[in-house]
Amino acid sequence: METFHNIGTSTDWIVMVVYFMAIMLFGSYFGRYTKTTSDFFFGGRRFSWWLITMSIVATGVGSHSFVKYSAKAWEHGFSSTMTYMNDWFFVPFFMFGWLPILVYSKVRSIPEYFEKRFSPSARFLATILLLLYMIGYIGIGFLTLGKAVIPMLPEMFTVFGSQVDITLMRAIVVIAIITGIYITFGGQTAVIFTDLLQGFILIFAGLLLFGIGIAYVGGFDTFWNLLPTTWKLPLADYNQPSSFNFVGIFWQDAVAGSIGFLFMNQGLIMRFMACRNVNEGRKAAAVNILFVLPISAIVVGNAGWIGKAISITSPDIISPNVSPDEIFVVVASIVTSPGVFGFVMAALTAALMSTVDTLINATAAVFINDVYRPIKKYLGKVAYTSEEEKAELFAARITSIGITILGVLAVLAFKNFPTVYEAHGYFHSTLTPPLVVAIFLGVFWKRFTPAAVITTFLGGVALMLLGARYPGILIAPFDHGIEMNPARPYSYIRALYNTFVCIGVGTLVTWTTSIQNTFTVKMNKNSANLLSVIAGLIFFGIIFNLFPINIALFSTIVLIALTAIITSYFIPYDESKIIGYTSWSIESAKRIFKGSTPNENEGEKIMLQWRLKDGSENDNVSFSRNDMNRMMANTGDLVYLCDTRRWLGGLKSIHTVYGESHNEDGVVYINKVQLERGLFDKNTTLYAEKEM
Amino acid sequence: MDLFSHSWLPFLYLYGVGGIFFALGLFIIRRSGSLNLTKPRHSKWLKVLYFGFVWYLMIHGVFTYLALG
Repeated sequence: METFHNIGTSTDWIVMVVYFMAIMLFGSYFGRYTKTTSDFFFGGRRFSWWLITMSIVATGVGSHSFVKYSAKAWEHGFSSTMTYMNDWFFVPFFMFGWLPILVYSKVRSIPEYFEKRFSPSARFLATILLLLYMIGYIGIGFLTLGKAVIPMLPEMFTVFGSQVDITLMRAIVVIAIITGIYITFGGQTAVIFTDLLQGFILIFAGLLLFGIGIAYVGGFDTFWNLLPTTWKLPLADYNQPSSFNFVGIFWQDAVAGSIGFLFMNQGLIMRFMACRNVNEGRKAAAVNILFVLPISAIVVGNAGWIGKAISITSPDIISPNVSPDEIFVVVASIVTSPGVFGFVMAALTAALMSTVDTLINATAAVFINDVYRPIKKYLGKVAYTSEEEKAELFAARITSIGITILGVLAVLAFKNFPTVYEAHGYFHSTLTPPLVVAIFLGVFWKRFTPAAVITTFLGGVALMLLGARYPGILIAPFDHGIEMNPARPYSYIRALYNTFVCIGVGTLVTWTTSIQNTFTVKMNKNSANLLSVIAGLIFFGIIFNLFPINIALFSTIVLIALTAIITSYFIPYDESKIIGYTSWSIESAKRIFKGSTPNENEGEKIMLQWRLKDGSENDNVSFSRNDMNRMMANTGDLVYLCDTRRWLGGLKSIHTVYGESHNEDGVVYINKVQLERGLFDKNTTLYAEKEM
Repeated sequence: MDLFSHSWLPFLYLYGVGGIFFALGLFIIRRSGSLNLTKPRHSKWLKVLYFGFVWYLMIHGVFTYLALG
């Protein structure tokens, strides 16, 4: 493979440095709106759909990056777009299942959902799996960033007379330090606004590169006619080659990846939770998936297509042997002029940084919510004072730094894959299925028990480990004719096997609940503890590969049975306690969210001025009786107050409750806390809208 | 050159198996009541969901047709 160094000019570097400084200043400006951990992680749940849609672009495009899709576009053509255009199948589940549950149940993290839906033990296991997933994802992000900038850097540089080689890991460490700065001091509001800006810039930069590239090869007709037919097809070959085939990627990306991205990517979920209500979240998801993702597919892959066209006409300019992960940088440097190349590279690296930032912020949220707070609760510190809030915000920032370091270390697990795409595919196939299956069955199947979810985690992981060790025996029946590459067996289609075994375990345990109960009635605490030790030893034996395959398979069956029985004994399942946490009880979730019966009457949206009320500490706001009638609102209903300037996207807004009415039409009385939280300016007009 | 395994076979698999997941999703959200068609807003969302499926099916279908010439 041909690799590159020193691509670009000093003008490009100046443009990049200026771009980064501007982005960091922009992020720092919005960091001042972070006052609480809710702001730090969720941006205060107040933003409009368009702002979230565009800010998701930088996150989505960054994570499904220019580097890896250009690489596949260079190797296989338009089928590089597959993974951007197969997400719609699970959107009904997301829009009308997971999203309203997340908002109405007021959970702050996915593991917290597991505690409320199942049990604290399920939360503990979910936290471990989710942190592994998130940190791995950050590692993939850093790896991509490193591969993007390495071609622009020299092979070595001199410091105080000694030569320092520029290696991938060294470049990643420097990038990690820069990346950590504004996330640590900014928080979610800073990330959302930075991503908003970068979303627009990214799409512009990608389309600019496509336009310039098409002109470079001689126009669209020339470009289209240059490409071989197989390069123009939008889907990959059904089952070959093993490194890029349709059916493997369907199960790895369209199924495990799409559900993983929509249901368990805490970074993306936090964006949707930053929307001002469920309907705005649905709009953000719909517009993003229907229109922005197809455009993004062109934006991220076109460098590979242009590179292919150039390599056909002028192999002396772009050799067919260029390393796939470097094709984006190579093409961008050839078709653009100095300065423009710097701008394109700045947009690329900044987008990747956005992804990593979002993930760091999200992982810190999981850590604070599911490790830090439970420990504090265990130690008896449950009272939330302003001092405690400050301490928690400080802990969130320190956690962000720690997560950044772990993310850099995670790169070591992926850096030996031939391309970032395969590293990411392998990672997704391996880590997402247990959590994806657990969330999915938890949300949509009310009979799915705590015993089933815990057994899915332990038994599913055990079967996945066996699949990884014996792919020729266990994964081969699912391979759809894909050839097994012994170096990296079934990178993608293993997702089907992993998902199948996790669903199988969860379903089997749920269907056999009554059988488990016949055992649990005969058990006492001592026998349950003894069985727990046996199950633990079996799990230990499977993890550390102490058994030959026949015994390992038998042991896994025993492990599944024991885990189901033990969990059923310790955690009896009561369906009445899960109201509000499945798609079967969304209306109840709304009632719990509001604290009373929702008022679904549709009223007007009204404009008004705010005034400060003296000395009031309660969370009510007061409208005139006439205004409340126009909004069809009653005392105790929920209301959203927002600055009328739409371009702010809800930055200056609050959610609150209707209090007792007064007689001054067009005026709302708010207290000092609400004023500070809403960031309302003097003499600005607000609009008020009844929520429920 | 037989391009069926590179063109219409993956297309059929994508919208066949993917379509089963999509239909299952619609069935569950309607059956569970989380998509309540008595609410006008939900009816609009159902149309959006159908539109999305057809939108992507058409994009892939048209591009496959154009690529095969």
